[in-house]
Amino acid sequence: MITVYRYAMKYKWMIVIALFFMFIELIVELIQPLFIQQVIDNGIMINSIDNVIFYLLIMFAVSLIALFAGIFNTYFTSHLTNMFGYDLRLAIFKRVQNFTLATLSRFSTSSLITRMTQDVLQTEMLLFMSLRILLRAPLLVIGSLVMSFLVNPTLGLYLSMLTPILVIFLFFTARKGAQVFLRVQHWLDRINRFIQQNLEAVRLIKANDTGEYETGKFAKVAAKLRNDTIFALRLMESILPVLLLIMNGSLLLVLWVASDLLKTNEVAVGEIVAVINYALRMQGGFSMFAFLIIATSRAKASSDRISEILHAPVAVEDKNTYEPADSEGTVKFDKVSFKYPHTSRYVLKNVSFEIHDNENFVIMGGTGSGKSSLISLIPNMYDPTDGVVTVNGKNVLDWNTADLRQTIGYVPQRAVLFTGSIYDNLLWGNLHAEEDDVFMSSEKAQIHDNIMNFDETYETTVGQMGVTLSGGQKQRLSIARALVRKPSILILDDSTSALDVRTENNLWDALAGENVTRIVITQKISTAEQADRVLLLDDGEISALGSHEELLRTSALYREIYESQKKGGHLDD
Amino acid sequence: MTNFFARPFGHERLITKEDIGKNKRSNKNKADNMGQTLKRIWQFMRGERKRLYFIISLVVVTSLLSIVGPFLVGRIVDYYFIPREFDGLFRVLMILLASYVLLSATTFIQAYLMVGLSQRTIYNLRHHLFEHMQELPVTFYDKRQHGELMSRMTNDIETLSQTMNSSFIQFTTSIVTLLGTFSVMLYLSPLLTFLTALIIPILIVSVRFITNRTGPLYKMRQRRTGELNGYIEEIVSGQEIVKVFSQEERAVRNFEMRAKNLREVTFWANLYSGFIPKIMNMLNNISFTIVAGAGGILALTTNGIVTVGTIVVFAEYARQFTRPLADLSNQLNQVLSAIAGAERVFQILDTPAEADEGKITDKTLRGHIEFKDVTFSYSREQQVPTIRNLSFEVASGESVALIGATGAGKTTVMQLLARFYEADSGSILIDGEDIKDYSRTNIRSQTAFVLQDPYLFEATIRENIRYGRMNATDDEVIEAAKVANAHDFIMTLEQGYDTVLDLDEGFISQGQKQLISIARALITDPAILLLDEATSSIDTITELKIQESLERLMKGRTSIIIAHRLNTIKAVDRIFVLEQGELLEAGTEEELLALEGKYYDMVNQ
Repeated sequence: MITVYRYAMKYKWMIVIALFFMFIELIVELIQPLFIQQVIDNGIMINSIDNVIFYLLIMFAVSLIALFAGIFNTYFTSHLTNMFGYDLRLAIFKRVQNFTLATLSRFSTSSLITRMTQDVLQTEMLLFMSLRILLRAPLLVIGSLVMSFLVNPTLGLYLSMLTPILVIFLFFTARKGAQVFLRVQHWLDRINRFIQQNLEAVRLIKANDTGEYETGKFAKVAAKLRNDTIFALRLMESILPVLLLIMNGSLLLVLWVASDLLKTNEVAVGEIVAVINYALRMQGGFSMFAFLIIATSRAKASSDRISEILHAPVAVEDKNTYEPADSEGTVKFDKVSFKYPHTSRYVLKNVSFEIHDNENFVIMGGTGSGKSSLISLIPNMYDPTDGVVTVNGKNVLDWNTADLRQTIGYVPQRAVLFTGSIYDNLLWGNLHAEEDDVFMSSEKAQIHDNIMNFDETYETTVGQMGVTLSGGQKQRLSIARALVRKPSILILDDSTSALDVRTENNLWDALAGENVTRIVITQKISTAEQADRVLLLDDGEISALGSHEELLRTSALYREIYESQKKGGHLDD
Repeated sequence: MTNFFARPFGHERLITKEDIGKNKRSNKNKADNMGQTLKRIWQFMRGERKRLYFIISLVVVTSLLSIVGPFLVGRIVDYYFIPREFDGLFRVLMILLASYVLLSATTFIQAYLMVGLSQRTIYNLRHHLFEHMQELPVTFYDKRQHGELMSRMTNDIETLSQTMNSSFIQFTTSIVTLLGTFSVMLYLSPLLTFLTALIIPILIVSVRFITNRTGPLYKMRQRRTGELNGYIEEIVSGQEIVKVFSQEERAVRNFEMRAKNLREVTFWANLYSGFIPKIMNMLNNISFTIVAGAGGILALTTNGIVTVGTIVVFAEYARQFTRPLADLSNQLNQVLSAIAGAERVFQILDTPAEADEGKITDKTLRGHIEFKDVTFSYSREQQVPTIRNLSFEVASGESVALIGATGAGKTTVMQLLARFYEADSGSILIDGEDIKDYSRTNIRSQTAFVLQDPYLFEATIRENIRYGRMNATDDEVIEAAKVANAHDFIMTLEQGYDTVLDLDEGFISQGQKQLISIARALITDPAILLLDEATSSIDTITELKIQESLERLMKGRTSIIIAHRLNTIKAVDRIFVLEQGELLEAGTEEELLALEGKYYDMVNQ
């Protein structure tokens, strides 16, 4: 909890001010019974209307003071709570942005969402409530106790006798509560995740007509959430009855003892009345405690989840900026082995090769042979498990990551687009790109004409994942996005699979004139034929490396691939 | 100072005086909406209503008991302490004890039952919402951010859940306590009661002031929460892209903007709703003052009409009188925020489900397909339709390849056939009947569709393959995987078929995903087979191996495939060449080659 609430320290002066106003409210609350005692003992008992009116006016005035104090308290608490929540959200989001993909894979998207919304909300609520009642509740309890001791020590003693039991009970409930709320939040994550998957798979589910099956599965998760929520809330709801029982018991004790004291004239009726009043106020204070405990339990669970993110490792602090030589684009793999974090199977084994500046380099290989994993090491999406990956003569681990990625234009296998206009999506490549550059890039990517045919051209809105675009359009947009960067190394991960032959040839022609090192993963021999060199991967190892003609001569596997395409041929050939 | 209230801490006002005025004018409308929403929530409590009535009667008992306590205490002061008369005091104390014990018991039971009831209702609502989401058309999802929809399922429903738990009990308690205390107060002293009730008009005015503002603010808050959720979901899901383009700062900046929007609206919502307890506190203090002061004066001037005991009791009752009022207004606010959430949930429930008026529910399909003059656009603003006057026929058991440039409408044809979208004009017939006359299940259960972008669930590989046919045996799963050439790579995984696919891990390649989704299609026994670039990420050697299985699979079934590779295309009976949504050429390979048209060009390029 400390990690999380450290973020509130920025507003410590506001907290002090808010607490100050709360304190004023509290004082008013505490002195009110004193005045009623005065009205009875100094007014009615001695038949003085003047005194009664005097106290009446004072009570009225302090009520107004309390109101203003309360309103100011609300202003300050609302403000600082929201600032705190905002700061915390931003801190989490920034942290996540700095995660390596390895760290990111430890958290599901849905759980990150719940943490940034629901969990932050819970910690905000606790802060909000605290600044309004946290101090107030114990002060009300303690204050009432002290006052009742002052009014009559014996009665005060009996009033306080049972409170230790209550405090212990509250402590244990709070602890247990934090545990069960952790489970509740966990199930909320699962619900979120389940829905996220369903949204992504909406076509698959419809095509398979498995909506009912999915609903059945969802019902199970939702039932778990329901059951744990019921348990957690029931635990919390048990606080109030226990509290009532103990506090009312204390009141009963006071009445009993008071009747004894009255017999010996050790107490005035007004005193008894005041102590009874304090007892009721104490009860009010403890009920606030009940609320606080619920809020604390939830916030404890939530802040643990938030701390988990804030403590998760981020990418290593970046090294000094390194000015890359203009348009240089060389890549070197030196005895590189790689396995994905949290797995044990090596997907790349002792891979060594070099890619020259401006080379047209093609990577081929069977399904699951490690092609995509290999290229993901170049922009340092993952650290190699063994060996060294060098870009422009410098180990990728020594690069300033942003600079390294600045030199690379990467087109993933699966075209990922974001909600927004086409133009916005292209700017992901380079925020400061000129309009002309954007247009030129889309022209090279063979998508400009298509875009101009859309009704709103570049302002056309793309849905999440670009759902309304065709597969080929999505691929070309993501190629254009990479070109906007004016990279010195362009990486295409099988990104032309949905393109028809003419479009693809035009694309290669447009790229041929560029001063850029091209690293292209492909299944197509036709693409390999145009390459300077071809790297053939087989089960994570280099099977062959050389020009198309060389490989045809030396590599049986390459010949097999060649045959598989010549025999059937390819529509794109 | 005025400046501070106009823009406290720099927070700009989100709702203006006009908004509130407008709000007031449309109040009747709003109340209707609110009533509607409440009524619908009520409908979800069907089956729980008897229990609810029981809880409400328990609440009445609890509330009465909490009135009895202070009443007895007052009696003790008046009848025993002041006259110093202690006979029978023990008995009264015992009655008091009994009432206290009973109070705790009923308080616990009512809360216990209510928690169960509200959570079951919430569960029903969630379940119903999810069920409905399964029936919404694809077009509904095309336009919406996933995270925003997720927010409705969690944030909005959670808001409702938290309110339901407390509101029913609080409302009843407040009303009963209010009536109870009011009666006792009247009985004790009508005059003091009247004086205490003076605070009610102040209360109503201030509560209206607040709810007029919080109502719209809550709606805004729920909406902005959804927007933030949507943004987080997209960015985190697409994190690889953010990283590789080093756009972390841009992501943070956009996030900042949305988080700020949420912060601003929450500030105002919290501020206004936070006023309620403060105002209540003041009213509480004032009524206390009235009772103490006026009671004191009355006690002195009227000689015994108002006793000291009455003042004591009244002081406590005045508190008990204002508390339910405070609770009611607090609840009103809570309910407003829950309604803001519920409305967003009902918005989805109100979206009409996919049309499914088909009367034909259990027809075994032979797989004859006919497109008759079909035209279709994804959006109304589109100038050129995606599919234009498309007509063709595919015989039962025939296989057809769709080819054409990207954006020619190939995928769209398949999606129309799977009824993801409805044609704007023209009709699509299966076995001579319009597909609209079939129930969706009837068609989809006999169609296998391998999608362009293979999707796998976060589940074991076995479960993923079995997704094609739920009752497939383990052996059938393995058989399908073998035929799809997925078996070998699956066996290299440590847990084999029981490997849980983690969506975020990269160790299953795109091509392997395609192999699994082909296995998933192989395991079904469909009358119609739709393959949309099913092997695009698979290497050609593996593809050749699968080819044979696919050909076997296509035999005897109507198959429509989209592919680029000639060997795949050559295996089909006929080829359709699409261009800009129109059918350009159709025929067997020889026919098309003889035609020397578009297909001929494509092959001989």
